Amino acid sequence: MSSAALAPTLRGLGDRAPWVLAALCLAAYAATASPYGLRVLALAGAQVVLVLGYQFIFGHAGALSLAQGAFFGIGAYVTAILGGRYGLGFLASFPVSILAPSLLAAAIAAPVLRLATHYFALATLGLAQVASLAAVNGGAFTGGALGITGVPGIVFFGWAVPRGLGLVAAVWLVVAAASWLSVHLTRGLTGRAYAVLRGNPLAASAIGLSEQRLRLAAFLLSAGYAGAAGALHAHILGVVSSESMAFSVMVACLAMTVIGGSTRLAGAFIGALLLTYLPEWLRSLEGYSLLAFGAALLAAIVAAPTGIAGALAKAVAALGRTERPILPTPAELPVPQGPSGLSLLVVRGLAKRFGGIEALKGLDLTIDRGEILGVIGPNGSGKTTLANLVTGFAPTGGGTVILEGRNITALGASEIARAGVGRSFQNPALPPELTVLEIVTLARASLEDDLGFRAALAGRDRSDRRERHEAEAMYFLRSLGADGYAHALCASLPYRAAWRVEIARILALEPKLVILDEPASGLTEAEQGELARTLRRLARLGLGLLVIEHNMPFLLPVADRILVLDEGRAIASGKPEEVRQNPAVISAYLGRKVGLA
Amino acid sequence: MNERLLEIDVPGAALESSSLVVAAGEVVALLGANGSGKSTLLRSIMGLYPARGAVRLAGEEIGALSPAGRARRGIGYVPEGRRLFPGMNVRDTLLVGAHGSAAAAGPRLRTVLELFPMLEKRLETPAWQLSGGQQQMLAIGRALMSEPRLLLLDEPSLGLAPVVVDELMLRLRGIAAQGTAVLLAEQSVARTLEIADRVYALAMGRVVAEGTPAAVHASGVLERAFLGADVVTPIRNSSRAEEQP
Amino acid sequence: MSPEKSRGSMTAFMQLAFNGLALGAAYALVALGFVLVLNATSAVNFAQGDLVMVGGYGAAALAAVLPLPGIALLPMVMAAMALLGLAVAALAYFPLMRRPASAVFISTIAVGLLLQNGALHIFGPEPRAAPPVLSGGQLHLGHVVLPYQSLAIVAVAAVLVLGQRWLFAHTQLGRRMRATAQDREMAAALGIPVRGMIALTFALAAALAGASGALLSNQFFVTPTEGGALILKAYIAVVIGGWGSLEGAVLGALLIGEFETLVAAWFGYTVASALLYGALLVILMARPQGFYGEAAERRA
Repeated sequence: MSSAALAPTLRGLGDRAPWVLAALCLAAYAATASPYGLRVLALAGAQVVLVLGYQFIFGHAGALSLAQGAFFGIGAYVTAILGGRYGLGFLASFPVSILAPSLLAAAIAAPVLRLATHYFALATLGLAQVASLAAVNGGAFTGGALGITGVPGIVFFGWAVPRGLGLVAAVWLVVAAASWLSVHLTRGLTGRAYAVLRGNPLAASAIGLSEQRLRLAAFLLSAGYAGAAGALHAHILGVVSSESMAFSVMVACLAMTVIGGSTRLAGAFIGALLLTYLPEWLRSLEGYSLLAFGAALLAAIVAAPTGIAGALAKAVAALGRTERPILPTPAELPVPQGPSGLSLLVVRGLAKRFGGIEALKGLDLTIDRGEILGVIGPNGSGKTTLANLVTGFAPTGGGTVILEGRNITALGASEIARAGVGRSFQNPALPPELTVLEIVTLARASLEDDLGFRAALAGRDRSDRRERHEAEAMYFLRSLGADGYAHALCASLPYRAAWRVEIARILALEPKLVILDEPASGLTEAEQGELARTLRRLARLGLGLLVIEHNMPFLLPVADRILVLDEGRAIASGKPEEVRQNPAVISAYLGRKVGLA
Repeated sequence: MNERLLEIDVPGAALESSSLVVAAGEVVALLGANGSGKSTLLRSIMGLYPARGAVRLAGEEIGALSPAGRARRGIGYVPEGRRLFPGMNVRDTLLVGAHGSAAAAGPRLRTVLELFPMLEKRLETPAWQLSGGQQQMLAIGRALMSEPRLLLLDEPSLGLAPVVVDELMLRLRGIAAQGTAVLLAEQSVARTLEIADRVYALAMGRVVAEGTPAAVHASGVLERAFLGADVVTPIRNSSRAEEQP
Repeated sequence: MSPEKSRGSMTAFMQLAFNGLALGAAYALVALGFVLVLNATSAVNFAQGDLVMVGGYGAAALAAVLPLPGIALLPMVMAAMALLGLAVAALAYFPLMRRPASAVFISTIAVGLLLQNGALHIFGPEPRAAPPVLSGGQLHLGHVVLPYQSLAIVAVAAVLVLGQRWLFAHTQLGRRMRATAQDREMAAALGIPVRGMIALTFALAAALAGASGALLSNQFFVTPTEGGALILKAYIAVVIGGWGSLEGAVLGALLIGEFETLVAAWFGYTVASALLYGALLVILMARPQGFYGEAAERRA
């Protein structure tokens, strides 16, 4: 027992050793630095906080926000006004400096976060410009073009933290606190949930994660951290002007984040310190530092997109011992509940238009628990549209969808997933960066609401809860025969494993209804047999299944009933043998006229 | 006229490797249900998808060439769904298919318009305003503008009325008669069988039958691949009157 | 209001409207280049504004060596800028072709930085001016004064925009560039050298930007950092006109030029800018597809 406990402890110390060493170096430098050197060190600390904040929205949520500089500037101005003009102490001005940009972020979040990449970047850029204009033209309030001078240092109830070493210590205390918070929020499963959001947003919704909520949380945090960084910056410089809001602040932040590493804690430190000190070291080279900046950013985004921290991590992993992580033992899970007496899925009058084309023209269908409904039809008949509408991946254009008595028509994809509808995609929705075990574990954690920053703060996304979710995930993987792939990266899965993992991911959310979109495509005959047996087993357990397929030899023996779609309408419905002989079906599905003997 | 123009390795039913061959002036059909691998095969000939084995055009290995390179070697491609360029009119669509200057393409343009006279009246019409059948003709015309030796078509009859499909098939026969090799992937079995010189039946990415239309049709492999059961409607007895609107 | 006064304000209005047209015409070149690259690559070229700045400096520097009127220098500036455009494509786009669009956003921000600081080093921080297109001086149309420079800007911009339309509509090269922008895979399957077409698109966009810079830097002195505001305006023009629409981008740019000039004359430049950005935010939040283009939202 002692040696088994020792190894992880030593590994933990090994993880911490570089940090302890770095902290000692920093302290040693601070003890011997000139007043100017200390000022730079303090400013660098503020930049670390800024980058840590940016990592939430840019690194973890993967959204290109161009407002980080503006949030920084707002924090700086708030501190300058409250501290400089009204003489309020740190304990009053600092929280407001954090709150102000966060409130602004919250105010614009709803319409802005749903925009696609280019538009989100543009909206945040526009916001930054408005903020900049407001600063320059704020008259007496913001000090206009000249800004506000005479901003005090950090003052607690009249006692000013001494400039120099004292200020540096105070700033880096804030850095430590910000780092602690960042680590706590992203080290557990929540960090991995963000990786799913970046890597495959469909998968995120499919496992019940709300894209909106994840992005909102990241955006608010980035704004709050930026405000704190701005406040510190104001205290250190003693002066705030429109330069604190300039686009150059944003570009510097972006460069630091990309060059340092956008998702790793070390990346924030590396990026901020490197790019704060580079102009100092290159002072002799008369401003070539900015050229170096640009060149370094270009080099980083092209050749090292995970930043210096990412490259170091890869090097360490390559050099370090590659011990095989132990597989968790699969848990045993109780059998799902029995039927409730209501029909599982009732669809009435479902319709959808895309531009000028009516993809679905008023479709009705019913599925009961324990039933397998096969849906067939030629290309363009509306099968995948049906799947997308029922599962919330596309908004309906009319009609209702009722899941066991509950109207789910207007719900979004992640909510419907949590309500008990699982679905597969024609290309398995697996995030490339994650391992198989991670994605299924995330599905389990999502089911119990153990993901998100609130859960992370409460510790619900790590330690024994995480272990339990992993064990439960192994149960599902084993039942699909994919447990051997647990530590494989989803990006490198062969198709013969990917389809199993996709189904495991679906079942992990304990759905009542499972919708499968061409599950047999790409499978060998043996695998098709296995799939068919799995589907029958799920039906016996009380799940309802909707299986969209082209592969008739696979589908006809498995399905209890078949629904045939053509051009957005149901043209036949009934037992497989009946439907197969239906001449309307034959001509529609096989293409106009069939000549088969 | 029997020289092998196209040769591509394909997996056979028992996982052995066999060869799909098309000769100049031939119409060869690839028949199979959705997901049987017909599109993938055409795309791999075009270089849009990695091919499993060798691809030879007139004896020359073209596997290392990019899609543009293969097009310039003489392969014309008419993809599923036509993929006409939004916003381009008929004239521009045809001209962009030519490899040289507009002036040099003049005679070829005449020839293609003679083949598809319905396009001649509509040279300035934006492609998206044409009917389904006209769009299909335009897509074929575009591919013909580069005077290809081999014409690949992926489900050209999709979404078209039977009368239009008939006309289409006749044109394809005519194109082959001029010396172009035609490789046609289809789900619509009957009409394809009527114009093809040879047929390959595909299921799950493998060739499960090969031969003349009559032979493949008689072997019963097609309905098993499509429906998993026997559905009997003799090919020769069908009359136009029974067709669907 | 007396007849004289109303005529006076009518004259003032027409004067401003004309100035706005000239400004909008210069913006139109920037926006057109921006949307051409956007269509060809689905990527935002953040360096487009800085390319305008380089064009302005280029014209100023060339004029110091070759004492010719702007109209003679313009083709030279555009040719040099086209080469620079190829370099931008090589550095910032082709290495990132298979990566998500945000990577190119960042790489072009980096190239923009390089351009800005390069200009700063080569030309120094003092603002420079390029020579006028033809000459200084003005045309008097009744009470309205039309500077020759502004007329020249509108004329040159019109020629370039119409020239680009002609290129795209009536030449094989133009057809191939359009095909590449609309369906890259299909274009390749037709034998079109896709990479070459994309490189040419960058070259064309840079040449248009350079022209705009040469035209603007006579009236508005060029400084290294002016690219930033320009890229935002090009971006806004494209959003107003509809993402991906060439005509929309030109119209959007003209609208912005007019709006800026008219509002600034009455309320000052700050209010004009604030209203512009405010309008942008409202459009994005309410109708991100602008007037011509396609929807920009992603699914829930």
